[in-house]
Amino acid sequence: MKILLTGLNHKTAPVELRERLAIAPEELAGETRALISHPGIREGLILSTCNRVELLVCYDGSEPELASYLNERFAVDSQSLQPHLYQHRESEAVLHLFRVAASLDSMVVGEPQILGQVKQSYAAARSVGAVGGNLERLLQGAFSAAKKVRTETQIGASSVSIASVAVDLARKIFGSLEGKRVLLVGAGKMSELAARHLMQHGAGSLLISNRTHERALSLAQKFKGHVVRFDDLHERADEADILITSTGSPEFIFRTQHAQQFLHRRRNRPMFIIDIAVPRDVDPEINRLDGIFLYDIDDLQSVAVSNLSDRGREAQRAEEILEQELARYQRRIESLDIVPALVDLQAVAEDIRQAELRRAQSRLQSLTPAQQNAVEVLTRGIVNKFLHQPLRVLKAAAREGDLVTVEAIRAAFGFNGSRNETDISLTHTAETANLSDEPAMTTTRDDHD
Amino acid sequence: MYLLWLRIAAILYGIASLSAFRAVFGHRSVWRRICLPISVAAWLFHVVSAVEMLVLAHRWMPVGMHEVQSILALLIVTVFLVIALRYRTLSFGIFALPLAFLLVVVPTLGPDRHTFSSPVIRSGWLLLHITALLAAYAALIFSLLASLFYLFQERRLKSKRSPGFLNWLPPLDTMDQIAQKTLVLGFHCMTIGLFAGSIIAQESVGPAYFADPKIWLSFVMWGLYVIMLFVRRSTGLRGRRAVYLSSAVFVVMLCVWAANLLSSVHRFSAP
Repeated sequence: MKILLTGLNHKTAPVELRERLAIAPEELAGETRALISHPGIREGLILSTCNRVELLVCYDGSEPELASYLNERFAVDSQSLQPHLYQHRESEAVLHLFRVAASLDSMVVGEPQILGQVKQSYAAARSVGAVGGNLERLLQGAFSAAKKVRTETQIGASSVSIASVAVDLARKIFGSLEGKRVLLVGAGKMSELAARHLMQHGAGSLLISNRTHERALSLAQKFKGHVVRFDDLHERADEADILITSTGSPEFIFRTQHAQQFLHRRRNRPMFIIDIAVPRDVDPEINRLDGIFLYDIDDLQSVAVSNLSDRGREAQRAEEILEQELARYQRRIESLDIVPALVDLQAVAEDIRQAELRRAQSRLQSLTPAQQNAVEVLTRGIVNKFLHQPLRVLKAAAREGDLVTVEAIRAAFGFNGSRNETDISLTHTAETANLSDEPAMTTTRDDHD
Repeated sequence: MYLLWLRIAAILYGIASLSAFRAVFGHRSVWRRICLPISVAAWLFHVVSAVEMLVLAHRWMPVGMHEVQSILALLIVTVFLVIALRYRTLSFGIFALPLAFLLVVVPTLGPDRHTFSSPVIRSGWLLLHITALLAAYAALIFSLLASLFYLFQERRLKSKRSPGFLNWLPPLDTMDQIAQKTLVLGFHCMTIGLFAGSIIAQESVGPAYFADPKIWLSFVMWGLYVIMLFVRRSTGLRGRRAVYLSSAVFVVMLCVWAANLLSSVHRFSAP
């Protein structure tokens, strides 16, 4: 069985093309069923996210035309599709899948969603019977590689978006965000996003203040928060543990004396101020006060950029891990390739049978040709019957991917898949068997006598 | 036999110290998983060793430097384990575990030569006095550490450069809670310890006892402690100033510890 992966992603194709090929999660199962109905394709999986569409198939015989499948299925002409497509075969395809699952091929390296999306595709493919032994091993290998990258590197440890950096910083100050109060001053997309992120991560309640009271009311309704009148802002701002401000004010709204009052009223409990406004709403001198932590948009951006470069360094370590995982996967696949082992086992058993017949030739000469033929049939029958059960179990184990059983049978029969090693070990086995058989043969001779 | 348990505990403290460093500064989660179980195992061996040592001596009070060091190490690790389990942070382990290891190294060499026997050492008041003061020292060490961590984390957050080597620092709020709670615990222990010591002194030496420099320093430390608690509680003092206060009390504590050399009455010798 061969492996082929075809697709396009954010590096090779513009969003206009990616969105034409995108498949909704609820349609994944149906699309995968259609994919494996193509001739030659035994197993298949479709990965469709906002940044990539990839088809992964295991096939017999000639290579399937996946590009033409995409052309037909999504009504995209091949000339506009072909330059954006990439194809990976065998170990290249395996490594690509590992990199995708481990988020090394993502737009934001290290983002955690992609592994969930691969698992979603796997579940959809399984539900329509498109996952057999080969794809099962490949995907389990990908999941295990991704997990190893997550646990052994810091690739996903730091935040790379402004909103998540704000949450991280808040956690560094307050530990848990549980029960913490957020005050949103002014309205802006970025500040709303940061507030929503903080609320999603456990912040207790939201206060909203805006020069336009109606706007504040509508935001309060949207976030289930409470309104603070803009005129009362300086009197009530100390109620908040986290203050996010993004007004269009040309002057500072919060100055050092305000912050000193906040700290006094809060009995020096720390306060985290996020100033997303340009021009800024908060006097940067405030950051000098003990207990006030002020971050403006540039500060948040620079933390995000620094975290991103950290991820780049970790990605190099992750690549090394994936190379090791690929080697491990290939060793496993080779171990499960039992065809040479089956041939060897049968051939060596036949060698032993022939050798034993030759040894007994002098004693069998007196037999008639019919009797000799009966002995021939008898010995062959014994060997076949003896090998039947181990061969059956070996085939089943290989089919199931049960490496432990395969190795156990190999060890029991003393072969490692290569004929030369097998010959040596089985010759030795035969000699040992002969030595131990000697008394039995003597007994037989005595009986004849 | 207690020496064997203590040596095993010392080895385990050594391993736990290494794993604490790897857990805090490294990437592999395996160190985070093993650090606490090893520390607990070391602590259990240490408890067995301490109990056996005191049972063999037919007293419950540590006598001599080796025994006191061993008990202090045990108390430090106890506080570390409570913090690690309550606040899910191993950061204190990088100081507490090596300190415990260093404190038990000398006691593992053998029993203290400069020991003494006196009927006083079987007094319950004296046991209370010493145990409570050792617990106060252990609590104060953690309070100072937490205040220092708070300061580093505060500086790090204010500088906005986020140096990677300080990523292990726990959140400010966690360290503030640890600093406050250990401070209060230490205060209670110190008050009990000094109260028990005063009763013993009144009974055995009389008013002359209170002219001793060791005793004076002890009460100065208690006074500073009261001031520090009052200031922290009333103003919510944190950060740099809190570290100054904790450091001042800690320095006085070291002086009190060292004052045994100067003290003429705070000695127990065989009659």
